[in-house]
Amino acid sequence: MPTVEFEGKTFNVDEDGFIDDFNNWNDSWMRHVKQTEGIEEITDEHIKVVNVLQDYYKKNGIAPMVRILSKVTGFKLKYIYELFPSGPGKGACKMAGLPKPTGCV
Amino acid sequence: MTAPINAQAVMDFLKPRMGARFKTWVNICTHCGMCADTCHFYLANNKNPKMIPSYKVRFLKDILKKKGRVDRAYLEEIYKTVYYECNVCRRCSLYCPFGIDIAYLIYVLRALLNSQGLAPEGLARTVLDYKEFGNQMAITDEEWLETLEWCKEETADELVGLDIPIDKKGAKILYTVNAREPKFYPQDIMEMAKIFHVAGEDWTFPSRKGWDATNLAMFMSDTETAREVASNTFKRAEELEVKQIVVTECGHAYRSLCYEAPLWLGYTPKQPVVHSVELFLDYLKEGRIKLREKLKEPTTVQDPCNIIRNGGLAEKNRLLASMVSEDFRPMKNQGNYNFCCGGGGGAMPMGGEMKKHRLASGKIKAEQIRETGAKIVLVPCHNCIDQIRDLITEYKIDAKAVHFKEVIAEHMVIPKEMTPKED
Repeated sequence: MPTVEFEGKTFNVDEDGFIDDFNNWNDSWMRHVKQTEGIEEITDEHIKVVNVLQDYYKKNGIAPMVRILSKVTGFKLKYIYELFPSGPGKGACKMAGLPKPTGCV
Repeated sequence: MTAPINAQAVMDFLKPRMGARFKTWVNICTHCGMCADTCHFYLANNKNPKMIPSYKVRFLKDILKKKGRVDRAYLEEIYKTVYYECNVCRRCSLYCPFGIDIAYLIYVLRALLNSQGLAPEGLARTVLDYKEFGNQMAITDEEWLETLEWCKEETADELVGLDIPIDKKGAKILYTVNAREPKFYPQDIMEMAKIFHVAGEDWTFPSRKGWDATNLAMFMSDTETAREVASNTFKRAEELEVKQIVVTECGHAYRSLCYEAPLWLGYTPKQPVVHSVELFLDYLKEGRIKLREKLKEPTTVQDPCNIIRNGGLAEKNRLLASMVSEDFRPMKNQGNYNFCCGGGGGAMPMGGEMKKHRLASGKIKAEQIRETGAKIVLVPCHNCIDQIRDLITEYKIDAKAVHFKEVIAEHMVIPKEMTPKED
């Protein structure tokens, strides 16, 4: 399994660069994904999205639909894409430490 | 690893599949090698002879000779070949001088593996969700309907009178999507709703399962699940008494409903299945949709295997691409003989285990795109578009990949009565 070294920490990642285990997630991982996703700065809004994704994942074991993400954060779809240019299923899930969604994605 | 396999079970599985065509195909191949250069895996892997299509189906003859006495390690070798080295795109079949449908034989091998409990995890997982939820992403009916309602709200201020009809009995069109649209890409649904509205279309979504037209079970040759998935859509079409079923810009969904479903179901459903490419072309030809302007940057178009080679839409796809572009540049081999992108046949939803194989085999597509000099690649398939976006990054191509619906929704003329009044 490939690994990523960042800020002195080592993360195991899958082929798409998603963290292998949700439990190994930490703030350094967020800053790593910020770099790879070309996000300028991690704002409170990014953190809000990450928290919602993580809470939902802990309860349900899968990523939420973007509708739920929008409803709980109060962010419009366009704004979620401004925060995460590669989209909610890719960039946002990656930053939150969720596994890569399955199916045609 | 080398646990024995029940030879009788292997033979019992193959026997009913060994009709005249199958026997002829397995025995008639003279290994002439005409199929070699047709395969993007072969070309992208330095013409590795192991990647020659006819070699990839060698197992069938061998298993019959061994009367099914093979072990687990042998099945795993088949797995690597039929999943990691083939997108079942069927390009080789077009060039075989004997007309051997090599891709069909690959599917027989995939079916054999599935009967022995061997299938890619990424595909097998979706089968559970298809069975429980009727879609590949475990979306509940409630979530589906709430997402549609939200899509309507988000677009309402852009077009006066926009609606997303649900369960409208007697509508002309039953529109079906890929589960990824409500789950992660609702903009696809919004764009389509806008196009339907401007075209004055009489359409509807179904409220219950049948709305996800994808059928990943097909790629692992799980015919039983594939039949169930396809029949959901036709059941909704019957209940709602629609005239036709329109499929989103997805390749395999169209093929499964249009060409495979009649075989799985044992009858031909009465509702014709129409791909978005055909619908958009009609809209533009009939003037139901007019474009404000065409794409100015050079464009090219991908020919997804499942709607072109396996779906007969080559001319329509090319024509549509040229109608939305000022500078359309066909790829070499544009049309039925175009190369697979490397993401077909289940490669994308297989996830991580397939990634390095598909990026390597996609080299041919990357070169084709680069050669055209196009800055925009039009892609009417979800797996193709994800793969081509990965190829653009991997091979550093200065281009972007888009669906037709995105281009049309952005460039169409909005009639005055639908234009929101500025406050």
